[in-house]
Amino acid sequence: MLGRFDYQRPSTLPEAGRLLAESEGPVAVLAGGTDLLVDIRGRRHDPRILVDIKRIDALRRLNVDSAGALTIGAAVPLNEMIERAAIRRTLPGLVQAAESIATYQLRNRATAVGNLCNGSPAADMAPILLALGAHLVAWSQRGERTMPLSSLFVGVKKTALAPDEIAAELRVPAPEPGLRSRFLKQQRLRGHDLAVASAAGTYAPTTGVLRLAVGSCAPTPLLLEPIEVGRSSKAVVEEKAVRAVQAAMQPISDTRASADYRRTVLPVLVKRLVSDLLAEGGAP
Amino acid sequence: MTRELRVVGTSVPRDDAIDKVTGAARYTTDLALPGMLHAAILTSPHASARIVRVDLSDARSVPGVRAVLMGSDLDVRLGLYLRDKRILARDVVRYQGEPVAAVAADTLDAAREACRRICVEYDELPAVLDPRDAMAVGAPLVHPDLAGYDHMRGVFFPKPGTNVAHHQKIRKGDALASLAAADIRLEASFYNPPVQHVPMETHASIAQALPEGRVEIWTSSQSPYTVRHLLSVCLGLPHAAIRVHVPYVGGGFGGKAGLGLEPLATVLSRAAGGRPVLVSATREEEFNTMPSRPGLHSTIKIGSTRDGRITALEATYVWDAGAYADYGVNVGRAAAYSGAGPYAIDHCSIDSYVVYTNKVYGTAYRGFGHLEVLWGIERAMDQMARKLGLDPVEFRRRNLLKEGATTITGELFTAGHGKPVECLDAVAKAIDWGRPSDAPSAPHKVRGKGIAMLHKAPAMPTYTSCAAVIKLDEDGAADVLVSGVDYGQGTYTVLRQIAAEELGLPIGKVHITWDCDTALTPYDWQTVASRFSYMGGNAVIEAAADCLRQLTAVAAQALGVAPETIVCEDEAAFPADKPDRAISYKDLALGYAFPNGNAIGGPIIGHGRFIATGLTHLDPETGQGRPAQFWTYGAHAVEIEVDTETGEIEILHIATAVDAGKVLNPLSCTGQVIGGVVQGLGSTLHEGFQFDGKGRLLNPSFVDYKIPTAKDLPRRMTPIFLENPQPGGPYGARGVAEHPMISVPSAIGNALADALGIDYAVLPLSPERVLLGIQSREREKTP
Amino acid sequence: MPSGLTLIEFLRDRLYLTGTKEGCGIGECGACTVLLDEKPVMACLVLAVEVDGCTVDTVEGEATDGQLSDLQKAFVETGAVQCGFCTPGMIMSARGLLRRNPTPSDDEIIEAMAGNLCRCTGYEAILAAVRLAAAAVQPVAEPLTGETGTERRRFLRGVESTRKDGWR
Repeated sequence: MLGRFDYQRPSTLPEAGRLLAESEGPVAVLAGGTDLLVDIRGRRHDPRILVDIKRIDALRRLNVDSAGALTIGAAVPLNEMIERAAIRRTLPGLVQAAESIATYQLRNRATAVGNLCNGSPAADMAPILLALGAHLVAWSQRGERTMPLSSLFVGVKKTALAPDEIAAELRVPAPEPGLRSRFLKQQRLRGHDLAVASAAGTYAPTTGVLRLAVGSCAPTPLLLEPIEVGRSSKAVVEEKAVRAVQAAMQPISDTRASADYRRTVLPVLVKRLVSDLLAEGGAP
Repeated sequence: MTRELRVVGTSVPRDDAIDKVTGAARYTTDLALPGMLHAAILTSPHASARIVRVDLSDARSVPGVRAVLMGSDLDVRLGLYLRDKRILARDVVRYQGEPVAAVAADTLDAAREACRRICVEYDELPAVLDPRDAMAVGAPLVHPDLAGYDHMRGVFFPKPGTNVAHHQKIRKGDALASLAAADIRLEASFYNPPVQHVPMETHASIAQALPEGRVEIWTSSQSPYTVRHLLSVCLGLPHAAIRVHVPYVGGGFGGKAGLGLEPLATVLSRAAGGRPVLVSATREEEFNTMPSRPGLHSTIKIGSTRDGRITALEATYVWDAGAYADYGVNVGRAAAYSGAGPYAIDHCSIDSYVVYTNKVYGTAYRGFGHLEVLWGIERAMDQMARKLGLDPVEFRRRNLLKEGATTITGELFTAGHGKPVECLDAVAKAIDWGRPSDAPSAPHKVRGKGIAMLHKAPAMPTYTSCAAVIKLDEDGAADVLVSGVDYGQGTYTVLRQIAAEELGLPIGKVHITWDCDTALTPYDWQTVASRFSYMGGNAVIEAAADCLRQLTAVAAQALGVAPETIVCEDEAAFPADKPDRAISYKDLALGYAFPNGNAIGGPIIGHGRFIATGLTHLDPETGQGRPAQFWTYGAHAVEIEVDTETGEIEILHIATAVDAGKVLNPLSCTGQVIGGVVQGLGSTLHEGFQFDGKGRLLNPSFVDYKIPTAKDLPRRMTPIFLENPQPGGPYGARGVAEHPMISVPSAIGNALADALGIDYAVLPLSPERVLLGIQSREREKTP
Repeated sequence: MPSGLTLIEFLRDRLYLTGTKEGCGIGECGACTVLLDEKPVMACLVLAVEVDGCTVDTVEGEATDGQLSDLQKAFVETGAVQCGFCTPGMIMSARGLLRRNPTPSDDEIIEAMAGNLCRCTGYEAILAAVRLAAAAVQPVAEPLTGETGTERRRFLRGVESTRKDGWR
């Protein structure tokens, strides 16, 4: 057995909120469980109650509206997002990020919201969602609040969520017409792996704005300042982007990679990203 | 062998596959005995420490706990070749992860809860983590009492007062002088980190203590008789008092070759009043507590004439054996006598030191030191070729062993050894050696080609033996009984094929018993060393001949003819000129009854055996002797593409040639090659233990210890089998089980040198290592 | 039902369905793959209480009335089984794939199977088995007898040439 905890499966958000607010002892929200259950088994987490949110209809919504704005409920498994044709068409970078996570089996359970709330600097969904300007809606008995995704990440494995809050859904604004998006992840092998370094970007040809975000190179995922491409050549933009990344990153050496390697390979990813995003006649 | 074979040499599928694809196959943790308890282990957090105090009282109070043990409760010392190990650490701990205490309880949860409540007080001691440091004078001693340990005398030579568990020497000719006089000299050093076998099924054992000290065991093991023997020695019991069963085994690769969790399960069962106890390693324990493949530091010196004839080779191998000797001393021995590669070298000096360190202990691993040694040797060969301005294939051709040459232990190389040169030529051709690679797939990528030789003989005692029994069933089918274990290699199917061939039975009427049982299935040494098909095959041939003799004798008597006139074919015995008088096997299998009722003969049970022949001990000073029953040679050639910006390597094509002598089953032989090459890729590109400064293992799980997945395959793999027969091998076959893995890293390292002009000396060739190598070369170039 | 009981513990220890294997306990190796509402998941990271109202398919359900499925036959034929410990998980991942995509491309097969680790086979024979089952090629010999015949040799040659040409 993984542990001695109670299991609750509310069917509404208020029920879930009450459980979080009123229970004695630590409570954990269970969606896919692919991080939580591993942490419980490894005794890094010892909740008294698990609140399974997968039966709450409101949290299972995966909606693309007519303008292309996206609502991703907290209980939506990654594979569902990956297989949604509209998302594949308009936000390929988002799909690339989701596809890079773990394995097919885990993606039937793991969720985008869960990946973010785990708070890892290596969270694969973070860079692209940051670049897309996503917002997170947090729900509690005290009410609902919306925060830009960048506010969620406070430190390594630390988020801005209060103990009584459930991360309920992600809102991704309608992409600019012809928006291009990409995600690149450096791994130790082609098989499933955590990111050693990662980078995501969007480029809107209509506005000429390039947005970049990087992961696994600082205590939190980092959204960089947008870059006005204007008439600059690709090489100039690449140079700007690399300098911005180099200024922002604080890579460490750990079991996965050395700071040196991260410092070397992240600019490579960023250059490739920019090159792909700015390619003439490029697809979304 | 010129006769037409019917079954041997065909791709008969495995019979155990049905149980495995349906989930019916039972492995050790699928077994449940009445009253079975579950065990949990408490391990040491320190690499080296004195155990000051162990408090079990709180643990004992957990409901459901039936036994709690610590090291000082037990007076048993274990060891295959050197008895240096306890079941649970006593007085000191020697590696982080070493078992210190254990609990058996009604449930696994209760056992784990109890373990958490055991209080151990340690006094940390200085740890020695690098075997080169461990060899220095004044280094902390991992085994201060080395002098007092029993060991296999005459074969292994531990050095008390040091951390050297064994020192193997090879002295052929005068390498020192010859090197000094050589036209061209090369010296290079290399490193292999320790790695883990990563069987998909972790170690697991069930033991049930019986009256009179007897014990019955079910275990995931490669060697039931070795488990029985070692327990007999360390528990002071006659062999018959210990019964070992081996159900299906989910992979071994050498990690399950010796004693694993059986001793712990046994003492826990005794302490629990005879209730059966299951001890099963978690994956973290598999990495951190169960043994590894020893690491290796090697320094190689080669001397050559200007025109590329190697005159001398000197090598120093320093093995990181970890905290206990286990198989490590034999790895150091075997790798020494193979330690110059498959080359004709007149002057050779090898010193192979097996050194204790405060890390998880090393054991047998597929290749038994040969992958590690040949990482250095085959890389050095390439570097020497380059220094000489010679093509690496041509350089090898000039120096490979050929008929009339002698190995570094003084063994004469004959036609029966196989043809290493043919292996080399076959792989070179397969990747179009000599023709430059096509353009890489992107401007930041570079391609290269590399080649490496491999060789290995079974590393086994000079008197290694095995036996086989064949008994006939009422329906005339044959049952084969052996105690070698088929843990995936496919040998059981080969043995069925051999029995079918020899007995004249269709393959569907030859069965083999999948449970080994030391009370019932006859002796086999160990299922290691790529010798089971060879030795077991020969034993089965002899057992089949014995059955035929019995069938012939009864049939002759029944028919009133001379036995010499009887042939056995198509499941019947009959006079060669009168096939209409055939008596079917099923009418002979349990004896023959005449029409009037009189009976003759009896149950047909044939037995056969094989013992290693012609092997000698190695001279302790010179290493000269005959250690090898047979050698298997081979080669890899590989073409790679390197991303020079990220350091990632893609294998475009790897061709692997093995001189198998005779391919007994193409399907399973191919399976061994593909599986071995991919496992070799793991050692090459991804795998390696990482330790912190205090000797703690940093990557004890799949999160940070990566093995190849289905996404990590080469674009193309070409297995090539040569069939130059092995005298004495069944149908001319040699063992090939370990060989496909050996030298995979060497070939890729050589290809990398070709692609980048950089000589990498340390494994794994991770993207980081490759890229940082490129970077530092760039820095060197910039003034 | 204790909340902390995982699906794999429930299957193995309570229902005595020991076909599903534990290889790591943290969802990294795929040995415990089962189908949950037709979707492949790691049973070690699902709580038994979570599957209330769901369907669970394990390897024991793959054969019908003692008849091996096309997938099982293919695994036997191509040499996809060596030690067999990864086999149940492999079969369930493959079954999940073929249910949702009966005609997968080679890349789709790899993506579906890459979450299952194998140490013995080097994967090629397993991928060949899935491709074979998907192509609905019937293995022509009963696996147990393994008689060599012209049909069988042609079949295996087809498989072997697949491997020789590589997977991409």
